[in-house]
Amino acid sequence: MTAVLDAAGLGKRHRRRWALRDCTLRIPEQTIVGLTGPNSSGKSTLLGLAVGLLSPDEGTIAAPPIADIGYVAQDAPLYRSFSVGEMLDFARSTNARWDQGLALELLGSRSLDTKVSALSPGERARLALALALGKRPVLLLLDEPLAALDRLAGREFLQVAMDGIAQTGAAAVIATRVVTDIERVCDRIALLCDGNVKLEGPVEELLAHHRLLTGARRPLGRIRGVEEIIRERHSGRMLTLLVRTNGPIVDPTWSVDEIGLEDLLLAYMAPEELPTPQPPDPWRLRWHG
Amino acid sequence: MAWVTWRQHRSQLVAGLGVLAAIAVAALVTALPVRDAYHHQALSSCLPPAARPGCDLLVNHFRSEFGSLAQVGRWLILLPGLALLVGAPLLARELEHGTFLLAWTQGVSRRRWLLAKTALLGAGVVVLAALAGLLAIWWRSPFDHVEGRMAPMAFDVEGVVVPAYTLYALALGVLAGVVLRRTLAALALAAAGFVLTRLGVEKLLRPYYLSPLHQVATGATPGTHARDWVFDDKLVDSVGRRITSAREDLAVVHAQHAGIDAQQYLVSLGWRRVITFQPAGRFWEFQGIETAIFLLLALGAIAFAARLLRRRPS
Repeated sequence: MTAVLDAAGLGKRHRRRWALRDCTLRIPEQTIVGLTGPNSSGKSTLLGLAVGLLSPDEGTIAAPPIADIGYVAQDAPLYRSFSVGEMLDFARSTNARWDQGLALELLGSRSLDTKVSALSPGERARLALALALGKRPVLLLLDEPLAALDRLAGREFLQVAMDGIAQTGAAAVIATRVVTDIERVCDRIALLCDGNVKLEGPVEELLAHHRLLTGARRPLGRIRGVEEIIRERHSGRMLTLLVRTNGPIVDPTWSVDEIGLEDLLLAYMAPEELPTPQPPDPWRLRWHG
Repeated sequence: MAWVTWRQHRSQLVAGLGVLAAIAVAALVTALPVRDAYHHQALSSCLPPAARPGCDLLVNHFRSEFGSLAQVGRWLILLPGLALLVGAPLLARELEHGTFLLAWTQGVSRRRWLLAKTALLGAGVVVLAALAGLLAIWWRSPFDHVEGRMAPMAFDVEGVVVPAYTLYALALGVLAGVVLRRTLAALALAAAGFVLTRLGVEKLLRPYYLSPLHQVATGATPGTHARDWVFDDKLVDSVGRRITSAREDLAVVHAQHAGIDAQQYLVSLGWRRVITFQPAGRFWEFQGIETAIFLLLALGAIAFAARLLRRRPS
């Protein structure tokens, strides 16, 4: 499948810190990718690079032209003094391709005369989404779209987003810290840690290829069916392993369990060593997620 | 982009028109008595003041009556500064509120966004400023006949330099906005920059756009320069060295003690007065040169802002 977004060896420095380093990621056409990772793992930086707000310090990123990308930045910035209708006019006059009908449909029943400043967070997010999808983009980028929303508004937002994505046939990247929010809607998951991709793949495949093994504590040798031990945890005389499998695990001394997506990602996120505390960076730009 | 620019800046346009209208009304009201007196006393046939007997008195009377009004008119010099209020928020407000993330991710490139907005707003402020410049020419015409319009504060409020200053103020505001990313700070920086450039050009460059004329006077009356811009008037000795005023005073006192006419005494010493000036007839040439300078500065500021914008915000 051809890639809509193709990052290779991508690096971006903010002052002396690398926000993104050696990051390689392909987003296939018409696929919804959940981009997750802890705070300041580089999610927003990656989206900023994709949309051309930032330029890379290393590596390359191939993305559609800006006219073909729908981008909703964190906190969905909008012109507060505009009315909803004026925001649509804004998008229409700044985009050569604009589907007013689709934008209105995604917007729902909200009156066009309402001022943006009078909208609830959910309505604001929905308006920003309608603006992004009204461009009929081939790639939709959402940066922490649910951060400011309660659960109900979040569900509604995702529903509208899925509807719009289905209608436009766009690929989508949804950056979020909380993967449970978007797990249902994602085809693939990419986990960013410290600026590079730690884990990436279709959700089912990731879940199918990881298992939790529990058994008595013992020196670890090779286990049949295990490709790699990701994490090990000792508690008393018990030993728990998170492993990536390459076949069925038949060893009866292990009890084998499936693992949920959130736990899987958390295990990958956990640092191998204690993190060195870093002073807060006062120059942090607003799109660091 | 035209719609976006109009929507975001329409209140500024209305405010600009309001200011212009208020100034026009004030100009109309205050100009009438001045013109009345000017025509009534047939001052136009009186210039230079020595033209016919009694003219001295008439001109002086006109000056004392309307001089303070002419002073008030000099505040028009601040008018181009209002364009700073349009320029400074242009980029700074988007950067401050994070809306640049929206504005620059639409189909219009960042560069085109900046150039389109600046061009449209520039055209707007230039039209308003040109009207203000014309209005000032009309309002000041009686004063110009009496005291000329070559000197600063008259030169600066009339004619084509006004739109040029205004465009420069707009451009400088835009540039400060992309540098500082805060509206208020950008406004302060741009205002300081604007005042400095204006003063710098006025003091350091303008006197020398064309080589100034010198008049050497040995007698008592140096001739009239009422409508010229005299920017140096000094006493020199026979070899051309400048005489300090203390020395001049000393010489005058000396002459008075000796009981001879001070003027004659100075002449006998070989001292001459040298007046350096730009003649009134060069007004439009100077306007043209100064306009060109500020248009170039404005273009430079916009080009620089566009360049910075390409690298920032990153």
